[in-house]
Amino acid sequence: MVHETLAATHAVVTLDVAVPGIVWPWLVTVNMWAKSIGTGIIFMLFLLLKRHPDQVGKLRFPSTVVAIVFIHIFLLFTLADLHQPFRMWHIFFYPHLTSAITVGAWMATAFVGLLFLLAFLSFVKKDNAAFDKALPWVVALAIPVTLYTAGLMSQCTARELWQMPTESAQMVFAALLSGSAFMILLGTKLNWEAKRSLSNVLALSAFMAFILYMSEYVFGPMKAEEVAAVLEYVKGDGPYAVMFWLGQWTAYLLPMILIALARASKSDAILKLAAILALVGLAVVKHVWLIIPQLLPMS
Amino acid sequence: MQLGFLVDLHLCMGCKGCEIACKVENEVPLSTWRLRVKYVDVGVFPETKRTFTPLRCNHCENAPCERICPVSALHYIENGIVNIDKTRCIGCAGCVMACPYGAIYIDPETQTADKCTYCAHRIASSMMPACVVACPVGANIFGDLEDPKSNISEYIMQNQGNVQVRKPEKGTDPHHFYVGGGNVNLNPLASKREEGYNLFNKITTLPVGGHH
Repeated sequence: MVHETLAATHAVVTLDVAVPGIVWPWLVTVNMWAKSIGTGIIFMLFLLLKRHPDQVGKLRFPSTVVAIVFIHIFLLFTLADLHQPFRMWHIFFYPHLTSAITVGAWMATAFVGLLFLLAFLSFVKKDNAAFDKALPWVVALAIPVTLYTAGLMSQCTARELWQMPTESAQMVFAALLSGSAFMILLGTKLNWEAKRSLSNVLALSAFMAFILYMSEYVFGPMKAEEVAAVLEYVKGDGPYAVMFWLGQWTAYLLPMILIALARASKSDAILKLAAILALVGLAVVKHVWLIIPQLLPMS
Repeated sequence: MQLGFLVDLHLCMGCKGCEIACKVENEVPLSTWRLRVKYVDVGVFPETKRTFTPLRCNHCENAPCERICPVSALHYIENGIVNIDKTRCIGCAGCVMACPYGAIYIDPETQTADKCTYCAHRIASSMMPACVVACPVGANIFGDLEDPKSNISEYIMQNQGNVQVRKPEKGTDPHHFYVGGGNVNLNPLASKREEGYNLFNKITTLPVGGHH
């Protein structure tokens, strides 16, 4: 992890308190994971509506409920991670609009409002036409809600590993992966064509996310010394190496293999297994990527 | 007026007087530091040398902490100081994550972010920061970077070619300079942190937030 140490200098830190340590813990992992599902399921509902409108049927309300539940998990864990949670209202009354946190909080709040509108249209009014008209607007807002965490991570100047173009792509792939996985589990009565569409999204997003991680893993260290130092934690005997590869296999590689098998055998069970692994693996992948840049001493 | 700091590392002898003065002046709680002195040992016995580097908030002109703060708890004041309003802070720790210098911490007593403010309250009363007053060798030089006659400006002029900032590649434009600093002082990746080499090995830290 020490990249600029010359043998001749033999420089050793003999007194320093390497503040701050882990500041964003597993609560933030859950935050990102739940948000991916909350927005991803809306993307998948939209996809089904466009590609397989006859199959959407009774999925409108359950999908909306899943989105509401997971967005509230996201909000709950966001709140839990604050050291002064009762001051959350400051974000709305003293907003600082250069901060991705502020913009994200406002957009997520609007998103929750729109989700409740969808729930009202599908459950109370039972008006599918109105629901389908409102859905594109919810999808449009779900995109920046998905992306804002990437903006936040890129605002963390201290964490060289989190680069904006890559992180925003990873956020989109995470939403598509978790949304399609959850929809596969939720849409048990979908026909095989619709399930095939969902499995396409799952496999492609897993493939693209894996490619991005591997690109960073191999080429990142060639660009920046801090990235090289951080990636040492997931290479060789690094403390997060096992968890990193466990996440990559569970979230991306195994689901891709299982989807190929499921499509060959038209097996619902294998498809569901792929979906469950993708959901579990995504949390592991997100956690590793969240923690490792925090292990690097800033001083 | 743009206030800045310069530390002449040729003069610093690692007495930690600045650290203690800061703790007392700002009532900094146990296990947290607004200012701390890092020791790095260089060389192999008997050819060894100990270097001392006081570390504090760099009061960047392009401060990542100010940009990421969702409620403007971290804000610029007219004299260039990046100040903090602890009553507004929500404790999201975005600033802690953004600061490339590790200068911000969560205060375990107030559960809000905190950092060096260049003793903004003392400056408002025309006094020098506590660490400047306490330094027995005048290694801390403080003043207006926009005034060519100020101590700090003259010091920078006299030491041209030997003035450094930490992590210039981050584009933060720090208002905190070092004279006589080397890679081992200023670059955290240029020195090892080996178990058992620290002078204080069992540092007690107070919990912040309860979930860390």
